[in-house]
Formats: sequence, structure tokens, C-alpha cells
Amino acid sequence: MKRSLRSWLWRVPLEQEFDEEIALHLEMRTRELIDAGMDPADARAAAIRKMGNVRSLKRECVGLGRKRDREMQVTLFLEELRDDIKFAFRQLAGAPAFTLVAVLTLALGIGANSAIFALVDATLLRPLPYPNPDRLVTIWEKSPATARGFASPPNMLDWNSRSRTFEKIAGFTPSVGNMVLAKPDGTAETVSRQWVTAGIFDVLGVPMIQGRAFTAEEEQKRARAVVFSEGLWETRFNRDPGIIGKDVKLDGELWTVVGVAPRHFEILGKTSMWAMRPFVNLPPRARASYQLQVVGRMKPGVAVAAAESDLAAVADGLSREFPEFNKDRGVALEPMHDTMVGSDLKTTSMLFLGVVGFVLLICCANVANLLLARATARSRELAVRSALGAGRRRIIRQLLTESVVLAVIGGALGVGVGAMILRVAPVLIPDGLLPGTVTLQFDMRVVAFCALTALVVGVLFGIAPAFQATAGAPTEAMGADTRTTTGGGGRIRSLLVVGEVATAVLLLFGAGLLLRTLIAVESFDRGFRAESVLTMLVDPLGSTYPTPETLRQFLARVEADTRALPGVQDVAWSSAVPLGESIFGEYPFTYDVVGDAPVEASRKPTTNYQIVSASYFSTLDLPIVAGRNFDARDTPTSPRVAIVNEAFAKTLGGRTPIGMQLSVAPADAAPTVKPTIVEIVGVAKQVKQRPDETSDFVQLYAPLGQDLVGDIILMVRSQGDRASALAPSIRAAIANIDRSQTTGVASVTTLEDVEWAATGRHRFRAVMVSSFAGLAVILAMVGVFGILAYSVQQRMRDFGVRRALGASTADVMRLVVGGAAKVVATGAIIGLILSAAFARLISTMLFGVQPLDFVTFALVTMVLVILAALSIAGPAMRAARIDPAQALRLK
Amino acid sequence: MPPTTAKTPNALLHGALDALILKTLTRGPSHGYAIARFIEETTGDAFLIEDGSLYPALYRLERKGWVEAEWGTSELGRRAKLYRLTAAGREQLAAEMATWKKFATGVTKVFAT
Repeated sequence: MKRSLRSWLWRVPLEQEFDEEIALHLEMRTRELIDAGMDPADARAAAIRKMGNVRSLKRECVGLGRKRDREMQVTLFLEELRDDIKFAFRQLAGAPAFTLVAVLTLALGIGANSAIFALVDATLLRPLPYPNPDRLVTIWEKSPATARGFASPPNMLDWNSRSRTFEKIAGFTPSVGNMVLAKPDGTAETVSRQWVTAGIFDVLGVPMIQGRAFTAEEEQKRARAVVFSEGLWETRFNRDPGIIGKDVKLDGELWTVVGVAPRHFEILGKTSMWAMRPFVNLPPRARASYQLQVVGRMKPGVAVAAAESDLAAVADGLSREFPEFNKDRGVALEPMHDTMVGSDLKTTSMLFLGVVGFVLLICCANVANLLLARATARSRELAVRSALGAGRRRIIRQLLTESVVLAVIGGALGVGVGAMILRVAPVLIPDGLLPGTVTLQFDMRVVAFCALTALVVGVLFGIAPAFQATAGAPTEAMGADTRTTTGGGGRIRSLLVVGEVATAVLLLFGAGLLLRTLIAVESFDRGFRAESVLTMLVDPLGSTYPTPETLRQFLARVEADTRALPGVQDVAWSSAVPLGESIFGEYPFTYDVVGDAPVEASRKPTTNYQIVSASYFSTLDLPIVAGRNFDARDTPTSPRVAIVNEAFAKTLGGRTPIGMQLSVAPADAAPTVKPTIVEIVGVAKQVKQRPDETSDFVQLYAPLGQDLVGDIILMVRSQGDRASALAPSIRAAIANIDRSQTTGVASVTTLEDVEWAATGRHRFRAVMVSSFAGLAVILAMVGVFGILAYSVQQRMRDFGVRRALGASTADVMRLVVGGAAKVVATGAIIGLILSAAFARLISTMLFGVQPLDFVTFALVTMVLVILAALSIAGPAMRAARIDPAQALRLK
Repeated sequence: MPPTTAKTPNALLHGALDALILKTLTRGPSHGYAIARFIEETTGDAFLIEDGSLYPALYRLERKGWVEAEWGTSELGRRAKLYRLTAAGREQLAAEMATWKKFATGVTKVFAT
């Protein structure tokens, strides 16, 4: 017996082995010495002396022996593994159809998972691309109205100077605006710009790829300094390092380019440049201007809670010092990563992760099913191996190796499938869902994920079949006809199919809810007609049109000239696009009804504020339901008027809005700012501002004749449906009026595209989940079909006997269909129960449909019945068409 | 396992016992005592070792895969652990012997001057 088989056969403990060896040695040495004439006792003593320190020898030898055994086991294991893998490949090559189906199934499942993993990895798992990102926190200014409010610049400066737990605190404006960049050739171009405070690059720790960040001196001097993005530097300045320190003309003024920031800095907002907004010598009322999103870098080793209590103390001090602005105002901290990712993205990622996880489970169930069927066919082979001395554990190990090999091949293909999904997915991902320039990439992390998934999955789907296959006694299986060895395997297979159907139903239900949501947000009555309307942002330069009159003249000329273009039906100006962006933000104004009891400042109702030209309502087909439209009477010198929407009218407590006077002021204005008094002259129909808004939007329209805004949106309704075709002629018309070429035109799009983008998130979720649900359903159908076809095959002789004994075709069919229907129905019921439980989890993503929507329940059930019928039909027909005489002769 | 070559003379002396054991086993499988006796007799006690130091060497050689152990019967009719040279052990011995000869020739040349 060789030692290499020790683990199986040798079985003598190392200590005993050594003792025996030494005992023999001593005995033989003693005997030799006696033979040489020594006294037996002396001989024994001499032999022991010559041996040396036996105890330390034993320790050394046993230690060496142990190491050897361990190495042996590893070698043996690796040898067996190599043999198993070789054997697995032979087995798989011998059953190409089985291998192909199993590998493709796994590739789909693992591929889908890897793509979603890439999304989750890029957003939730990966840290922000800044040094020590865990020390970055967003600091919100907390007020009675919101826990996540923007901060006023003086408060931010005081936080920075008075806190002890922060290295530095800086801020930026969350929205990205535009500036007109004058080009050397005399033309102008609109470039996106984000305002930042001087310290922002230091806080985030972004190294400039050219030049430097803003300095404190620049801020003190109120210098006009700007940092370009890598993108702008590349496309407009050809990566010319000479631009650093030069002046560029932005909005008619000279700004110094101090640096170029790398691409990943765009995470704060998609912009082409960052302009420094100096906050020095601020007037007291600036403390009430809440405009900055604030980021702080904590000192090393400071916990968020400690930083929060430190800043809270600072904020308390500020409340006492400046009660008229800071009463009841505090701070709230949040890791910056959480701010950047956002709850919407988090829930969407988790939803997808759950969905693809279920898809993978179905894939596993299907492959497990195939393996079970194969194990039955291979039962004789396994019995022979078992009879030849292979232990059950050894056979299970071999079968598991086979399934892992299968999974690894599937995983390798899955990497390809995942890469393909990631290639097409970005088209589907709506703008703004991913923070900044975060892109999905297929990298080693995704590959590692695939490898790990493949291993886990291989064991997962292999374990049941392996145990099943080795359960019977070898003699039984060897002697038996394969037909009789289906019993237990059949039960596991039924369970697997029940699980598959249940999971598929669950996913179908989820997809149904999300599709109903998509339909709801897309077909919802927005109150206006979006078709054939072109919109563009027009940004006339302030210095070219220094007075309101000159600017109004310019706008009026653009409107008149555009109206004269062929194909144009109507033209309007507006400060906001419905479902799209507003120049002012969401609820920027507070209002009081003149004559009502005064309301405390923090309790005042707020309203959306939109400046429109008189033609706005006709351009959007938006009816005025009461009162009048704006017209030529509404001039800068006439009494201020306003049109409110239906939701606004409802806030007036049943009073007639027309003729009512309102006192309107910007929500962030200091208490000293005098509100404007306006008279309501009309009520416009309600318009949706967001596709999934649950409460009606309160809106106030002001006439362009009485109020103005620097950047304004031109809306043009075309006569045909080719609104976008009008863009070049409109641009030409504007250029023709604005001889100095300083007017920027940007964001040229159609209202339909704006709508499409507004419903993007819902579409993204619905499309993704539906695709995965579709995949799941197909896989489940394959599963049902597979098990049924197989069991019909196995029971051919049984059916033949029944037919011979007088059973009709219908009887046999009933037998097959009945069994299958029971399995499918059980799965469906479990699936529907699970759906009811899981639906609540996605309730925040739903709109216009209840989590327990009856229509969806009914539709899913219907789809299921049809699909089940399709997959059952084939095998049932086959069973029915059986020729009894032939079936009886089947082996 | 490939034979270990390129030994420094120091390691050579240290590994001499290993080489002697391997050489002994070329005559056939032996138990520990027989190996010890053979080395004593053939080296004429030039190579004096404690009996004990033989065993760690044997265990080490077994771990390296140069010898293999199996249960056999001793001259006394008792169960004995017999060591047998493996193919790898044979290669190793050849390498050791070549190195040793080179070393010895070199030293002899120096002494002859």
C-alpha cells in the first residue's frame, strides 16, 4: 500500500507510526549490542543514548509528516479536480444539445446580472472620485419648511470660519445656467456655467489638469475668474495650455481662465465651466438668500455625528445673532455620496438587482431541471462507478464539478452578454438618473462578479441533482430499467417548476404595474397640446440690451419675425417649459391675498412663477377658463396683473379670483423687500409641471409686458408636424435682428421631446423590468415544456397500456394536462401571493395605479394561462397521438 | 519534483546525509535501522551521526517526494516501515552525486598543488 493513498487507506496516526519505527530501531540496536557481547540493560541504555532526544525528534518528525499529509491532500484534491474537470468536459461534449441549452440559459442569467451589477457598482458601491471621499458631507440648511434646504452665503461662510471639525466648507449653485462666450471670429456661443465658491476645488480635492483653483485673494479682490471643464477645453480650445491666465469674454465681460478641471469633476452638475462667485462684504439681507448647496471636508478621524453636533452649535449661535433671518434654522449633514446618488437611483438600482436576481434563480431552476433529467438517464453510469468503489461524496463532488464547469462556461459567455447590454443600455438611461458624468463601464470588477456568480450558481443548481442522482442503492439502479427511476426526481422537478412559475408571475406582475404607471404618466392630460411645438432658450446679452425697453423691443421683433416665417402657426415667450425647466425653480414666490389677515412669514403659501407673453396660452392650446388673457393693455406702467391656474384658484377658499389683489414676493427675499401687488385678471386651465405629480401645481403667470427675465424660452408652434425643421430659419431670423451676434441660442428641442425626457425614468424602469420579466416568462415556459415533454416520454409505455385497456385519447390528454395544470396553477397562486407582498416595495415608483391593481392581476393571470396552454399543448398532443401497440414495445 | 542543483558547499555538507540515505535506498527498500547500519558500515564510522538525526531526514525526504514509505515486515518478523526510493529520488541522487564529484575534484586539485 502506497502512502499516496494514505488519506483513504493508511489510517495509522503519525504519532503511532513514529513510535513504532523508533521502537523497532531501538530493539534492533539493542539486539546488535547484545550480540556484540554487551549486558542487555547496558545495551538498551546505549541504544537509547545513541538515539538522542526522542521527544524532540518526535515533535520534528510528526510535524514534517503532518505538513506532508496536508500537501498530499491538496495535491490529491487538485489531481482529482483536474480529472473531474476533464471528465466534465467529455460529458458535456457528449451531450451537445443539453450543454448548449444550459450554457445559453446561464449566459443570459449571468449576463443580465452583470449588467445590473455594473449599474449598482457605478452608483451605489463605488466611492466618489475624490480623495478620502468618506470625509465629504453635504451640509443642508434646515428650516421649519425643509430638512434639506440650500444655505445662504453668509451662513456658509460662518460655518466655515466657526466650525472646528471641518478642514474647509464651500458651496455651489445646484442649477447650471448659461453664459454667452464671445469667440474670436465675432460669433457668440452659449456655454453652460455653474456658480461655485472659491474653496470648492480645495474641499473636493480635485487636482487641476491645467492651471490652478481659485484663490482667497481672487475672492477678496472680487476677481472674475473661471475654471474650464476638460470637455470645453478640448472642444473649444483644442487642449491649448496657453489659455491659462488669458481673459475670455463671457456675457460681455472679461473673465480670467485660471484652470482646467478633469472630467470627473462634472459630478456636481453637467457644465462646461465653473465661475467663481465671490462672497465678501455681503449686505445683511444676503443671509436670507438661500442659494448654495454646501459641501464640507471633515478633518481626518471626525465622525459625521461629531461634525453635525459641532455645526449645530455654530448654527445655534447664528440663530441667536441673527434672529430676523436665522430663527428656527439649523443644519443637517449627509454623506456626500448619498446626496449624489439620490433615493430615486437607489430604489431603481435595488429594483433591477432584485429582478435580475429572480431571473437568475429561474435560470438555475431550469438548468437544475435539465441536470435532473440527465441524472436519471445517467443513473446506470453512476451506479457502475459507485459499485466500483467511488463513495457517494466523491460522486457528488464529481457531479458538482460538472455543474460548476457548466456555470463557468455560461459565466464566460455571460460576460459577453453583459458587455452587450451595457453597450445598448445608455440609450435607455434617462438624463439625470445617473449623477454627473458617472458612466457604466465594463471592467474587471464586473468580470469578477461574473466569475463569483458562476461559481455560486454552479453549486446552487447542481446540488439538488447531485444528491438526487446518488440517492438510490447502486444495485437497484443497475438492474433497473431507466423508466422506473423517475420517482423522487420528478417531485423535485415539479417543485422547481412551481418555483419558476411563481417567480415569473411575480416579475410579470411587477412589470405590469410599471407599464401601467408608464401608460398613466404618458397619457395623463397635461392640459396643453405638446405636439408640433419647438422650444429654445434665447439668451440676449445684457450689455447689448441694457434697458427693459430695448430688451422688450428685441423680444417683440424676434416674435414678429418668427411669426412671419413660413410654416409657423404661433409664437410665444415663456420663462419655463411645462414638464421641463423653469428659469426660476419650483416654488420661488410667496403670496398673500390683500385684505386677508397677515400670515406669519414662514407659513406663507408659495407659488410657481412664470413669465409669459400673451400668445403663450394660444401657442400651447391652453384655455383661459375665466377672465381675460394678457394683452396690449398690460404695460410696464399699467397696474400689475396676473393669471392664476385652477389649483391656485382653489387655494382662495371659494372666492372669485378675478379682481382679487395679491401681494407677491420672492420666497428668499429679505423681509425688507417690498412685495409686488398684482390683480388677478384670468384663470388658466391646470397644467402638469411633472408627469407624476400627485398634487396639483399652484401657478401664477405674469405678463412679459410687466416683468422680464434675462434668459427666456421661445416657443413656436408649427403648422405641420415638423416643428424641429423650423429651427434653422428661426436661428437665422434671430441672427438677422441681433447684428452684434451676442445672443446665445441653446437647448433647441420640441415639447414632445421634453415630455419624453420627463417620463424617462418611468419608461426606463418599465422597459427594463418588462424585458427581464419577458425573459423570465420564456425561461419558465421552457421549464414547464421541458419537464412535461420529459415526463410524457418517460410514461409512454404507461399511456400505451392505458390506451390498450380502453382509455380514450381525451383520457390520456386529461392525465397529462391535469398534472401540468396543477403544477402551473400552484406556481401561479404562490406567485400572485408573493406579488401582493412585494408590490408594496415598489409603491413609490408607481403612479396612477395601486400596488394591488386588479387589472394587472387579471392580465397576468390571462397571460399565464395562455402561455401555460402553449407550453403544455405540445407534450399533451404527443401523449394523445400515441399508438398503443408501438408504445408497449418501447423499452 | 525536479532535482535540486547548484548547491553551495556548505549546503552540500549539510545535505550529505540526505544523499547517503538516497544512495542506501538504491539497494532496495529498507527500514530506518537498516539504513543507519549501512551508512555506519560503508563509511567506516567516518560519518558519525546520532541514530535520531536519521529520522527527520527521512521524513524530510518523504515530504519532498524523493522517498516513499510503506508498511512491510522486518527481519524480526515485525511490522516495519520501509522506505523506498522514488523516480524523483533517483534523479535527485544523480544530481547530488554529480555536484559532489565536481566539488571533490575541485578540492582535490587544490590539495594536489
